[in-house]
Amino acid sequence: MRAISYAAASEPVRPEELTGLDFHRDLADRYLAIEGLEARWIPIHREGLRPDKETALRLHHLLSLTRAVEESLDSAFRAGHIPGTAFFGRGNEASSVGSAACLRDEEWLVPMHRNCGAHLAKGHPPYSIMAHFFGRADGPSQGRDGNFHVGYRPKRITQLISHIGTMVPIAAGVAWSAKVRRNGQAVLTHIGDGGTSTGDFHEAMNFAAVQKLPLVVVIDNNQYAYKTPPSDQYACPTLALRAPGYGMPGFLIDGTDVLVVREVVSQALDRARRGGGPALIESVSMRLSGHSVYDRYADYADMEKLKLWERERDPVKRYDQFLVEYEVLTPEEIAASHARARAEAEAARDQALKCPFPDPGKVADGVFAE
Amino acid sequence: MSLITYREALSAALWEEMERDENVFLIGEDIGLGGGAFYVTKGFQQRFGRDRVVDAPLSEAGFTGAAIGAALTGMRPVVEYQFADFVTETFKMIVDFAAGNHYRRMGPVPIVFRLPAAALVSGGPYHSQNPEIWFFGTPGLKIAAPATAYDAKGMLKQAIRDDNPVIFIEYKKFYSYRPEDLPAPLRIEVPEGDYTVPFGQARTLREGEDLTLLTFGTTVLEALEAAQVLESEGVSVEVIDLRTLVPLDKEAILASVRKTGKLLILHEARKRGGVGGELAAIVAEEVFEHLDAPIRRVGAAESPVPLSPPLEKAYLPSTAKVVEALRELAAF
Ligand SMILES: Cc1ncc(C[n+]2csc(CCOP(=O)(O)OP(=O)(O)O)c2C)c(N)n1
Ligand SMILES: [Mg+2]
Repeated sequence: MRAISYAAASEPVRPEELTGLDFHRDLADRYLAIEGLEARWIPIHREGLRPDKETALRLHHLLSLTRAVEESLDSAFRAGHIPGTAFFGRGNEASSVGSAACLRDEEWLVPMHRNCGAHLAKGHPPYSIMAHFFGRADGPSQGRDGNFHVGYRPKRITQLISHIGTMVPIAAGVAWSAKVRRNGQAVLTHIGDGGTSTGDFHEAMNFAAVQKLPLVVVIDNNQYAYKTPPSDQYACPTLALRAPGYGMPGFLIDGTDVLVVREVVSQALDRARRGGGPALIESVSMRLSGHSVYDRYADYADMEKLKLWERERDPVKRYDQFLVEYEVLTPEEIAASHARARAEAEAARDQALKCPFPDPGKVADGVFAE
Repeated sequence: MSLITYREALSAALWEEMERDENVFLIGEDIGLGGGAFYVTKGFQQRFGRDRVVDAPLSEAGFTGAAIGAALTGMRPVVEYQFADFVTETFKMIVDFAAGNHYRRMGPVPIVFRLPAAALVSGGPYHSQNPEIWFFGTPGLKIAAPATAYDAKGMLKQAIRDDNPVIFIEYKKFYSYRPEDLPAPLRIEVPEGDYTVPFGQARTLREGEDLTLLTFGTTVLEALEAAQVLESEGVSVEVIDLRTLVPLDKEAILASVRKTGKLLILHEARKRGGVGGELAAIVAEEVFEHLDAPIRRVGAAESPVPLSPPLEKAYLPSTAKVVEALRELAAF
């Protein structure tokens, strides 16, 4: 075994020095191609990813629905219907949808706070999400919690608490149970670039690797953790590069391309189901809206860069363009799919606004299981 | 002297202390470039630089430990948590290491932990908690809970100069209250320059003869409102703001109960495990013979903090609940 120094591979470079849209690809080329490292960039020719029409439509519906649900929630917030705050995953739709769409119905999803698309792809109905955001009785927590701090047990989506990092060990525990029960299931979880700085994250990755757990961890690197850019968050050139240190394969992918995400995550899940152990996938995107509905994004963000990403790397637009370019769907079919998604989201919102609030007399009910 | 907000008072304290002592530095998430989640440190990094206003990675346990390490060498870190609730990430650093270091004869740990705490309109289970209940039983930690802009500034300065670890609870709700909207006892002018508020001195917000109402933190508002209601019914309520929980101004509490003979304890936290239980026990142990009625407590419901407005309202103590308890005591 030879000692590996990633810096020896080429000139060290920091992500912020690479200003292009494809900086993650440059990083992967520089750092992840080192012999002996299992971390790698997977170049996937998009023609090779061309989905059949039914799959194409399903993914399109989910991407578009994610956008529409979040936009409906945003308008509901502006109208005063959301108590507390709301986090949206604008820019993250491909990573959320492309990953969770690979899960089987009986498998568990452990989402983070920006994974609306993962909820929808796993089958969480928009009405339930909306009722939750509005603090109503029909939300899964029946008004106990809000925002994307929500799970959906019928579809095996865990709840998450606000403390970032906490859910990764918990996801490892869900995967551990799948392993010892030998049920052939894998578990998917997401974490932010900021979340990778927590001790919990490292402990979970180590545990998953040591135990060879069927766990796929997607890092949604949206280049911000609230107001903090990667340069203040981590000093390694790519987060995927940590994977070989833990003892698992790492991948660095374009998180704004739903087909790339789907391809890589489905391979990783399959490998996990077969007993191959965990994988770490860094999925790069850009947070296209503020941290929360209260955030003053322009106070600290490079708005020019943001506009560039919005123009070139909007996951919904990119998929539309791909489908037309490769003649999978017609522009008319795409427009109809968007209209369907919008109508579905708005109907769910209007219905959820009619749902009653929980009974205040029951405030202390349910603290213990009976 | 001027009327400023609680947030402005905190900023002033930090700014003046950083100007005064170069060992003082700030660390936390998004506090530099972003000025903090609540903008308490807005503009600080431009003035004091990145080494004194440190933008930490998302790692409370790590940066809390690092700040404690710096404090061991004589620096005076002020650690900001984005929300008090996230301090649970750091328990062993604070409770096991920092709190006991001096007792283990390993020297002082002069550090301040700033915790933006308590309920603020539908914050939900992880952005509303009352952290004093987690630390109150740990020897070696001081706990400050300022309820006015005057106290916020004077007590934060005191905390920074104190040689012990201080859990400094800030009430998010108060950050942007305009002084002119506050009840008179809380509308206190804040000196422009230097002053400190010594720890362990309660403040009588309102003098009274018939009943003692002990409180601290957000519920000073409900306490004053309820006292006003009782006054119109001919009952005179003495309202005391404890200001610090450790050290505790026992003398002020006991003197008031000796005078009135009746005690209501009010806090935003739940009754079970709340500080009120200890206060009640102290009074029962030390001035039982002066009591003319059972001690009463008002606190939150025995559940996590729910988010939905009707649930949150039912959960939190309210003026109506305080009035009811005061009436019962008055009639006793
Ligand atoms: C332990 C902890 N500290 C602080 C916070 C406050 N907070 C909420 S979201 C966030 C940023 C998270 O960044 P990242 O992990 O990159 O996810 P993103 O929001 O960018 O999707 C922070 C600091 C938290 N939720 N948990
Ligand atoms: Mg992020």
